[in-house]
Amino acid sequence: MLFKQLSEYSQPKMGVLSENQKNALHSASLEILQRTGVSVRLDDTRNRLAKAGCQVDNDRVFIPERLIEWALNQHPKHVVLCDRNATPAMALEGRNCYFGTGSDTPFVIDINSGLHRSAVIADIENVSRLADALHNLDFLMCMGIASDVRPEISDLYHFQAMVSNTIKPIVFTAWNASNLEAILRMAETVAGSLENLLRYPFVALYAEPTAPLIHSQIGCEKLEVICRLGLPLVYTPGLITGASSPVSHAGAIVVANAEILSGLLITQLINPGTPVIAGGGGMMTMDMHSMIASYGAPEFMFDWCSLREMGAFYGLPVFGFAGVSDALIFDQQAGIEGALWTLISALSGGNLIHDVGYLESGLTTSYEMIVAMDETIGLVKRFMQGMLVNNDTLAINTIASVGPGGHFLDVPHTLDHFRENWRPDIFCHSNRPDWNEAGASPLGDRALRKVKTILSQHKPEPLPQHVTENIKSIINNATSRLGRMD
Amino acid sequence: MKDEYEMIFKAVVEGNVEGAEKLVSDSLMGGIMAGELLNQGLIRAMDEVGTRFERGDMYIPEMLVSAKAMKAGLSILRPYLVKEGIPAIGRVIIGTVKGDMHDIGKNLVTMMLEGAGFEVIDLGTDVAPEKFAEAVRKYSPDIVGLSALLTTTMQQMKNTIEAIDDLGTRDQVKIIIGGAPVTQEYSEKIGADGYAADASKAVNWAKAIPHSNSKVF
Ligand code: B12
Repeated sequence: MLFKQLSEYSQPKMGVLSENQKNALHSASLEILQRTGVSVRLDDTRNRLAKAGCQVDNDRVFIPERLIEWALNQHPKHVVLCDRNATPAMALEGRNCYFGTGSDTPFVIDINSGLHRSAVIADIENVSRLADALHNLDFLMCMGIASDVRPEISDLYHFQAMVSNTIKPIVFTAWNASNLEAILRMAETVAGSLENLLRYPFVALYAEPTAPLIHSQIGCEKLEVICRLGLPLVYTPGLITGASSPVSHAGAIVVANAEILSGLLITQLINPGTPVIAGGGGMMTMDMHSMIASYGAPEFMFDWCSLREMGAFYGLPVFGFAGVSDALIFDQQAGIEGALWTLISALSGGNLIHDVGYLESGLTTSYEMIVAMDETIGLVKRFMQGMLVNNDTLAINTIASVGPGGHFLDVPHTLDHFRENWRPDIFCHSNRPDWNEAGASPLGDRALRKVKTILSQHKPEPLPQHVTENIKSIINNATSRLGRMD
Repeated sequence: MKDEYEMIFKAVVEGNVEGAEKLVSDSLMGGIMAGELLNQGLIRAMDEVGTRFERGDMYIPEMLVSAKAMKAGLSILRPYLVKEGIPAIGRVIIGTVKGDMHDIGKNLVTMMLEGAGFEVIDLGTDVAPEKFAEAVRKYSPDIVGLSALLTTTMQQMKNTIEAIDDLGTRDQVKIIIGGAPVTQEYSEKIGADGYAADASKAVNWAKAIPHSNSKVF
C-alpha cells in the first residue's frame, strides 16, 4: 500500500481578516469600552459592574481591559445543546456549523392561499413540525410572533408550540424576565427537573443589546434570570450599519464587538461559567433609499464574517445567518441570497446559524423557503465535508485495473463510495422529458408540495401527557395573572 | 427670482447648515420678508431634495443634512414668521410606544418631518400611553405619530389612542401610526387617522392634512 500512513480530511474555509486587523479591531473595541463606555439600564447589573472595578457615571459604565480579559477566561469554550431527549446534539465550537429556522417574523406567506398575512400559533406549530422532519435543520427558533394569542404572553404560547412539535434543540425569545421564568419552568417540566435541564440543556435564550451600546433594563433583567441558573444563552448585537453604527465595515465591527465584550462580561459577572453564544450577530445594512435593514447586502455578509472571526479570536461560539433574503416572495432572489448566506456561513465557520426561511429582511417567513434552504444546507454540508485523502480514496489499484479507456460505473470502489455523493430531493437533476412528464414544475411548486406532504404525514414524538398538562397549567397561571392586572 | 432665494435653495440642497443659517440671517437684515424666504428658499429646496430622492439622485444621509439646514434656517425665521402672521406648517409629537425600544424608523420620520418644516417633539422610546396623552395636552400638536416594531407592542398604539381620547383631546389631533408590522388595516381597526409605510410617505401624509392648532409659528 502506497499511502498507508496518510488519512487526512481537507476542510473548505474562508477568512476575511488579517491578524493585524483583528488586533486593531480588538484594541479599538477596548478603547470604546474604556472611554466611551456602554449604557447599562438596570441598577443591579450596573452595581455588579461597579463592584468589579468599572467606573460608573449615571447609567454609563466604563470597562477596563482587565475585566474583559477576565470574562474571556471564565466562559466555557465547550458549549453543547442537547435535544429534548437529553442526547447531545450540537457542539458549538470550532468550525462546527448547525442550522436552524429564523425567529419572530410578524408575517408569513400562507401555503394555501399564497397570501401574505399575520403569523398565528398554527404557523409556529407547523414550522416546528416541518423543522422536526427536515434532516438538515439542527435546531428550531420560533418562526413568528403569533397574532392570535394574548400578546403579553405570546412567548409562552410560542414555546409550548415549539416544544410540543419537535425534539430538536430550541432557541427561544422571551418578552421579559417573568415570562422567561415561566418558559424555563416549562423547559424544566420537559427535562424532568432543573438538574436535568442544566446537565442536558435543550434550550437557549436569545436576547440582545440595544444598538448602539445599550444594555437595556429588560435585557439585563433577562440576563440576570438566565445566567443565575447558568443555562445557555445567545447574547449578540443587532446593528443596522449606517444607522445604529458607523457605515464602514471596521467601525460597525467595533460597535458590535464592544457590545459583545461588555455583554459577555455582564453574563460572567452574574455567574462565571455561564455558556454564552456571544460571537457573531446581526449587522444589517441600511439601504439608504428604501430605508430597509437589508439582510441580503454583501456588506452585511462581510461584516458578519468579520465578526465571526473576532468571535473565533476570542474563543466564543458564534451566532450566524443562513437561508435569509430581502425578497418579498419565495422567488429567484430569495434562492440566490439564501444560498449565498448558507455557503458563506459554512465557509466562514459560524456555529449556531439561524434565520433559515426569512424573507423581507426578517418580516416574513416562507414555508417554501425553509424547505428549499434545507435542501441548500444539505448541499453545502456535503461540500463542507471536503476531501478525505487516503489509500482507499486515492484508488490507485482501481485506476490501474480499469486502465485507459475503461469505465468506473460498476467497479467495487464505485459501489463502495457513490452513495457518499449528495442527491437532491426537490432540486432538479432530471432530463427535460422526465421533467416535462412530471409536470414541468418550478422549484417553488415542488417546495410547496414537500411542505404539504410533511405537514400531512410527519408526526413528531409526543410529550408525555403529564408534561403537556403542566405546560398548559403554566400558561393558564400566566393568563390569570394577566386577568387580574387588567 | 431673487439671488438670495437661489443661494438659500442651493445651501439647503447641498446640506450646508452654517451657510443656510447665515444666508437666512443676512437676507432678513436685507429686508426680505420671512414668509418669502421660507417659501422661495427653504421649502422650495426641500421639495427639490424630495424630487432628487425619489429619482435616486440623492440618498437618506444627504437628505437628512439638507433637512438639518432647513431646520436651522427655519429656527432663525420663526420669530419673524410669527410677526408676519404666517401659518405654521404644523407641530408633531412622536414616539415609540410602551415596551418598544426600536427607534431608527421613528428617528427617520422625525428628521424627515423636520425637513419639511414641521416642528417635531420627540418623546423617545418606550413611551407610555399616559405620557403621550399628557404631551398632547401640553404641546397641542396637530399630529401625533406612533411607532411600533413589535407585534407585541402594537396594542399599545390602541391604548395610546384611548388615553388621548380619555383626556378629551382626541378630536384636536390627527394620529398616524407606522413601523414594520403595522398595516393600513390595523390603523383603521384601532381608529388611527392614518398609516404610512415609510418616512417619505409619512411626510406626504402630514403635508396633506389641514392644520388647525399651531396657528402661527
Ligand atoms: C434593528 C432591529 C432591532 C434593534 C433595534 C435598535 C434600535 N436602536 O432601534 C435591536 C437589536 C435592539 C432589536 C431588539 C428587538 N427586536 Co428587533 N429588529 C430590528 C430590525 C432588524 C430592523 C428595524 C429597523 O430599524 N429597521 C429600519 C427602519 C428604518 O425601519 P422601520 O423601523 O420599519 O421604520 C420605517 C417604517 O416602518 C416607518 N415608520 C417607523 N416608525 C414610524 C412611525 C410613524 C408615525 C410612521 C408614520 C412611520 C413609521 O418609517 C420608517 C422609515 O421608512 C427588525 C427587522 C426589520 N426588518 O424590520 C427587527 C424586528 C422588528 N425585531 C424584532 C424583535 C422580535 C426584537 C426583540 C423582541 C428581540 C428579542 N428577543 O430581544 C427585541 C425587542 C426589544 C424591545 N423591547 O423593543 C422582530 C419583531 C417581530 C414581530 N413580529 O413583532 C423583527 C421584525 C425581527 C425579527 N423577525 O425577529 N431589534
